[in-house]
Amino acid sequence: MNKFTCVIVILVALLQGCVEYHPYDMHISGSKQVNAINITRIEEACHRRQQIRFAVVSDSQRWYDELEDAVEDICERDDIDFVIHAGDLTDWGLRSEYEMQRDILNRLDVPYVCLIGNHDCLGTGKRLYEEIFGPMDFAFTAGDVRFICLNTNALEFDEQEPVPNLGFMTYEQHAFPVQARRTVVAMHAYPLCDQFRNDEEFQQRLRLFPNLQFCVHGHGHRYREEDIFGDGVIYYECANVESEEYLVFTINDKGYECERVFY
Amino acid sequence: MSAKEFFISLFTLALIAFPSAAAARGGNRGGDYRENLQYEGWARLIPTHVKLQYAGGMGLLSAGVGWDYGKRAEWETDLLWGVLPARYADEARMTFTLRQNYIPWSVRIGRRVDLEPLTCAMYVNVISGNEFWNREPGRYPHGENGYYCFSSRTRVHLSVGQRLTLQTPNAGAIRSLSLYYEFGVNDLMLISKFNNSTLALSDIVHFSVGAKMHIFK
Repeated sequence: MNKFTCVIVILVALLQGCVEYHPYDMHISGSKQVNAINITRIEEACHRRQQIRFAVVSDSQRWYDELEDAVEDICERDDIDFVIHAGDLTDWGLRSEYEMQRDILNRLDVPYVCLIGNHDCLGTGKRLYEEIFGPMDFAFTAGDVRFICLNTNALEFDEQEPVPNLGFMTYEQHAFPVQARRTVVAMHAYPLCDQFRNDEEFQQRLRLFPNLQFCVHGHGHRYREEDIFGDGVIYYECANVESEEYLVFTINDKGYECERVFY
Repeated sequence: MSAKEFFISLFTLALIAFPSAAAARGGNRGGDYRENLQYEGWARLIPTHVKLQYAGGMGLLSAGVGWDYGKRAEWETDLLWGVLPARYADEARMTFTLRQNYIPWSVRIGRRVDLEPLTCAMYVNVISGNEFWNREPGRYPHGENGYYCFSSRTRVHLSVGQRLTLQTPNAGAIRSLSLYYEFGVNDLMLISKFNNSTLALSDIVHFSVGAKMHIFK
C-alpha cells in the first residue's frame, strides 16, 4: 500500500506539471523577472569594457526549432557578450508560448533581455510579459553604452497608455549614467509602421539622447537598414528567426559595426 | 514520449480494450452493461448527469450539467461553467464550455465497476474579460484576413482519456458515479506542434480530472 501511495504521489506531481487552468492563466512555472536578473549580469560582465559585442534576434513566434538553432549558433561562438530579443516571442500571447520561448533562450550561455512585441500583448500577454520579463520600458548600461529598450506597440494599447513612453525617455535622458557616453535604442515596432504612434514626438525626443549610435528593431521580418526620418539616425531591422539570420553589433572606440549572421 | 508514441500507445490500448469487450458478445454486448433509459417527450430536456472538472483549459474548477444519448448512452453533451480565480490569473475570470463526448466502450471489471477504456471529447471554451475578443477590435487595420486572424476569447480543445464508473447498489437518485482523467490539447498548441519537431508532447498537452454523477434516469 505504501508503494502504491508513492506511485500515486509521483504520478500526481508529474501530471500537475501538465495542468492548464486556461491558456491565458497566470500560473507561471519557471523563472520570472528575467530581464532584471540578466541586466545585472550584463552590467557586471561589461563593466569598464572598451568594446562590447551583442547579438539581436527577433520575431521568434511559433518558430521554436529555428530559435533553438539560433541559440545553438550563438552558444558555439565565444565573442558575444549578450543577446537582445527584439520582441514577438509569442504568436498569441499565451502563457505556454512565453514559457517555451524563455526556456529555449535560457540555454544561451550569455545573458539576454527580451523586448515586448505586438503579438506578445494579446490576451493577458502584457501581464505575462511583466511577470516573466519585467517592465515594458527598461534600460541598462554595457561598457560605455546606454541601451534604451522601449515598448512601441501603440496599436495594442489603444491610446490608453502613452506608447511609446516619452516620459520614460525624458527620465532616462535626465538620469543618464555618468559612465555611459553613447546610446543605442531598441524597440519592436519601428516609426511610421502600422503599430507606431506619435512618430514625430518620438523622433524629437530620441535625438536628445547623448551620442545616439543607431536604433534596432524587429516586426518587419526581413533585414533592412534605413534612415527612416532622414535625420541621420539609422534603423536596423532584424529579420525574423524563421529567416535563420541574426545581427551582431560591435561597439568600440572606432564606432560601431553591424554584421548579418546566417546559420 | 513523442506525439507519435503517445498516439500509438493510445491506439494499442483501444485495440486491447475493444476485443476484450467484444469477446463475450452476448446479451450484455461483451461486458458493456450500459443501457439508456431514455426520458420521453419534453422530459428529455432534464439533464441526465452533473459534472465537476479540475483544469483542462476551462478554469481551475468547472461544473455543469449534461445529457446522455445513444443506445448505450455512448454520447454526451455537457454545458460547464468554470472559475479561474484571481490567484491564477490577472483577475478572476469565468468561462463557459460546450462539450461533446463519445465513449465507445464499457467493460465490466468488478461487481459494480465498469471501465470505459477510451473517451474522446471536443469542447469549445469562452472566457470573460475585456481584453479577449472573438472579432478583432476596430482599431486594427482591416486586411483581407484581419490582423491576427484568431480569436483570443474562444478556444477549441480535443481530448482523450479513460473513466471508471461505480454503480450505486440501489437505483436511487444517484445511479452511478464516474471518475475520469484526460489529456487534451487546444487548437493553438496543436498548430504550434506543426513544423516544430523540438516541441515535446508534454509542452502542448494538458491534463485534467473530473467526476460525473449520473442522476435520476
